[in-house]
Amino acid sequence: MNAGVEGSRGAASYEVLSPWANVDPVPLRGITPRTADLAGKKIGLFSNRKRAAELTLTAVETRLKEQMPSVETTWYTSTRINTPEALTEGKARFEAWVKSVDAVVLSVAD
Amino acid sequence: MHDAISVEDLHRPAVVLANEGFVTDGRSAASNKGMPVVRIVPETVPCECSIKEHAETGIGGVMDQILEALVNPLTAEEASPKRKEAEQASRIVFKGDLGEVNRFFYKRGWGDGMPLMPPTEEAVREMLTGTDLTADHVVGKIEPRYGKATVEKIAVNAVMAGALPTYMPILIAGVEALTEQLAQLGSYGTSTGSWTPFWIINGAIRNDARVNCSSGAMSPGDIANATIGRAMGLIIKNVGGARKAVEDMGVYGNPGRYSSVIGENEEQSPWEPLHVEDGLGRDESAVTLFFPNCYSQIWQYGSDDRGILNTFIYNLQPGRGGLCCLIMTPHHARTLAEKGWTKPMIRKFVSEFGRVPAYRHPSFHQGGGWTVNRPETVAPGPMDTVAIIPNPSLIKILVAGGPGAFLGLACGSGMVGADFVTKKIRLPANWSKLVAKYKNLVPAYEKY
Repeated sequence: MNAGVEGSRGAASYEVLSPWANVDPVPLRGITPRTADLAGKKIGLFSNRKRAAELTLTAVETRLKEQMPSVETTWYTSTRINTPEALTEGKARFEAWVKSVDAVVLSVAD
Repeated sequence: MHDAISVEDLHRPAVVLANEGFVTDGRSAASNKGMPVVRIVPETVPCECSIKEHAETGIGGVMDQILEALVNPLTAEEASPKRKEAEQASRIVFKGDLGEVNRFFYKRGWGDGMPLMPPTEEAVREMLTGTDLTADHVVGKIEPRYGKATVEKIAVNAVMAGALPTYMPILIAGVEALTEQLAQLGSYGTSTGSWTPFWIINGAIRNDARVNCSSGAMSPGDIANATIGRAMGLIIKNVGGARKAVEDMGVYGNPGRYSSVIGENEEQSPWEPLHVEDGLGRDESAVTLFFPNCYSQIWQYGSDDRGILNTFIYNLQPGRGGLCCLIMTPHHARTLAEKGWTKPMIRKFVSEFGRVPAYRHPSFHQGGGWTVNRPETVAPGPMDTVAIIPNPSLIKILVAGGPGAFLGLACGSGMVGADFVTKKIRLPANWSKLVAKYKNLVPAYEKY
């Protein structure tokens, strides 16, 4: 099994196949253009229910309002932990919330 | 990261805050979803932080970067990212001697740190005799990269692991299990929890492929137990693209990931085998998968039925609250069966009486973490008790192991939507010949 051929230095030489899988290419997309000024904008804070998320985003919210008092914030908490919101029953509510804000800050919180 | 991409797909700017140790992981996840340029701000909030001051300090240091990420104009690359990786990799990747091949694979990140067998055309062709499926047949796409698990890629990784062609039917069924949503590979394979794929083999193939069900089944020394798990680990890495500290963010890692494979000792069990419980025929073979992150062995509290069962209920560890496999020897199983215990009764008993005061299991007491959407598990008060395994259906019972008085526990998590996955193993038409060719490959230990 798995015999190679003699190489130039006497050792068997093996021509080997790649174990790395091919993928169906996913179309690449760019990100959304930013707003130039946050004054008066509504910023969404998305919590994925991980323990650090609320503390982290609260710290963001506090500093954001300190630095830019006209910014409004609104929170969204995911339906489940470790599950993308778009795959849950909260998808429609999530999409409506996203559309109601000007930008979103999310915390990985791992 | 998926949620941030959903936000961007809805045409709203997203900024992701990630602990600095998770930025590479986040970037990889974003690339897999077609948006490699998501704005990620590295921060220093401790992982899973529960201290307000630490969160404030970690964010205070990067607040300017967060604001910049919200307002700075897009670069050309952010507006229209370009693909960096070749879409189709070469089939033949290297030529060299054994050491050179091993070093090449290691440097490409395609190994597991142990020596690999070279996957030559000849060796892969021999491995493919273990299936009737064509080499280009796609068994599934494996998360997180959604790499295409063709039969040939499975065979290449199987050769590298040192597997025999008689294991191919098990590996193919294993890939089917990995791609089942209930297995939750996308979470377990990349989680900080270092969950390990734990494979249980049932049916006649255990004997045909010489899968150890008895003494030392989980120890090194049996080709089947050692290389089936090893091959699946390489498949997860090379086909699924879950690489250590890049996508697989297991904090400590897990030695079980080298190989955790065990067969059920059906012949000496008083109960129905695991795969028959799951609806398959006794004459069929199957592989069952779940993702524990710890495997422990506990000396029995007594050899009677209560002693055996009390060992289980007093050694369940709070903090996971989920899928759990109770492993017992044929002797233990017969003792329980003689006293009238059935598998459903044992599952119910362990779930009911494996309890701790709620204050020792705070996620279950407070309704956070794993108890989200499980209000029935939330204790009224800290001194009430809670079940460590909240539902008997989260428990499997496996009869295996050799002579001795130890019991085994493989404990997984209570991730909502995760379950054991059992897949039927399909044999090729030439099975009898194949088994005859490889079955006599057994160690003959000299006596001393």
